[in-house]
Amino acid sequence: MEFIKISNLHKTYPGGIKALKGIDLEVKQGEFLILLGLSGSGKSTLLRCLNRLIPSTQGSIIFQGKEVTTASQVNLRGIRRQIGMIYQQFNLVKNLSALTNVISGYLGYLSLSKSLYPLLDKELVNKAQKNLKRVGLEQMAEKKVRNLSGGQQQRVAIARTLMQDPQLILADEPVASLDPATADSVMRYLGELNRNDGITIICSLHFLSLARKYGSRVIALKDGNIVFSGSPSEIDPNRFREIYGEDAEEVDIV
Amino acid sequence: MKRIYAVLIDILAFGYILGSIVFLLQQIFDFSLQLLPLILLSLILTLICLFLEDSLGLLIFGFSAGKKYWHSFSGWLITVMLILTFICGWIIVEINPLYFFEGINNTRGILQGLFSPNFQNLLPMLSALAETIYLALLATIFALPFAFAFSFLAARNLMPNTFWGNSIYIFIRTLATFFRSVEAIIWAIIFCVWVGIGPFAGMLALMIHSIASLTKLFSEQIENIDQGPVEAITGTGASTLQIWLYAVIPQIVSPFLAFTIYRWDINVRMATIVGFVGGGGIGLALQQEQQMLRWHNVGLIIWLIAITIWIMDMVSGKVRARLMEL
Repeated sequence: MEFIKISNLHKTYPGGIKALKGIDLEVKQGEFLILLGLSGSGKSTLLRCLNRLIPSTQGSIIFQGKEVTTASQVNLRGIRRQIGMIYQQFNLVKNLSALTNVISGYLGYLSLSKSLYPLLDKELVNKAQKNLKRVGLEQMAEKKVRNLSGGQQQRVAIARTLMQDPQLILADEPVASLDPATADSVMRYLGELNRNDGITIICSLHFLSLARKYGSRVIALKDGNIVFSGSPSEIDPNRFREIYGEDAEEVDIV
Repeated sequence: MKRIYAVLIDILAFGYILGSIVFLLQQIFDFSLQLLPLILLSLILTLICLFLEDSLGLLIFGFSAGKKYWHSFSGWLITVMLILTFICGWIIVEINPLYFFEGINNTRGILQGLFSPNFQNLLPMLSALAETIYLALLATIFALPFAFAFSFLAARNLMPNTFWGNSIYIFIRTLATFFRSVEAIIWAIIFCVWVGIGPFAGMLALMIHSIASLTKLFSEQIENIDQGPVEAITGTGASTLQIWLYAVIPQIVSPFLAFTIYRWDINVRMATIVGFVGGGGIGLALQQEQQMLRWHNVGLIIWLIAITIWIMDMVSGKVRARLMEL
């Protein structure tokens, strides 16, 4: 049984924009899959279709034997619980503490009444503290997220994702709003989760250097189609121009 | 479609101009005029405009004739309309500058009262003022839970884009707009009949008005929140109520409190007016003293109201500024 099997996935937005035009993709457990492609090529849409933050128009997504696209609301929440996600803009609640933000990652496992005063739940707080420690922010637990730097905020977001004990982490350009050095450190945390915890990661990126450093496989999207699939080292200047257009030239960071 | 609207605007504009001219002529000559010839004349003028391809309606919808303002027929029409409106307004409002200067002596009683307020009545007036402040406060507090609950149902980004979601959204929004557009003073008149004259009627009137306007302010605040956390919490498999609890409410608590304090501030001002029609408090006292021409008491009340509003304005401004930083 495949870990993820996407077949003939289409997404047409209201207004007629076709973001995905028949994606076929299989992902094995334990992969660190990098999505490349220009802005608007469909990377974000593909990632959000996987946990149905965006409903797809046609096609099927099987995640661990369960169909995502037609799952009932209850089953969908069960699937989403297994899938962590981190975002370009971190998507944390800025006027809450880092600790509360991390705890909110566990909501899928909690009943409504138990989610009312999570700070009273010793076990839950310990679990959140442990995850904050994993991303090196145990000192920042009480701080409001607004007062943290961009890199620290993204690490809080990773800790929030870890609360879900996820099988899969989707990362939508997790380092695009960070400076190069911070970007590499955030990617290092993701790489570590992939190696040590065996969490499968699908991560969209803009920088080829990071893709080569961390990715086990690269998928390139262009206009809603997959135009390349292979190992990161196979991307030479010609391939690069196929993905990014004739005038593109690779710039190196880190 | 735009051209049809343009033609309708032209007909209305010409009707307005001709009507104004007839109104002015009627001030000088005594005659009456049927409506029909006026309408026909505006229709004819509109047709001429269509032929010229230069009219007010076309200008509004951006089909400009490409001429300078003063050279175009439509620009000329706007000028005529503005001048006519001003002259007609002057006549309708019965403006008479002479009265303004001649009548100044009549205000002597009020001015004297204002500058020598009757402090003998300070205690009863202070208790009336307390009534006003408390009724405004209770109106705000009672309005808060209703407005809080309704605002979630009236927020576009929280209501699902389904038949029921849209129906609830439109229903609550329409209701809020209706209850807000009816002035608090009208509600006070209704409740004075309902529960009798006194502060309770005033409180109910202000409560209804506060629910409606806080619902609108709150729901707009919800619509302006950062959607990122909502997306992220949804992605963790949380239920709708959990999403509201963790991604929406933390973002809105301090602006909601700020709006509520601001509303209390407004309610104290409105309570004075509402008191005039029987809603209790200092407004009622003001109306009674004024009816009996006891200007020294009126002076005292006006000073008390002014000082209260000044203090509330200052304090609520400071508190709101602090809340916004949270």
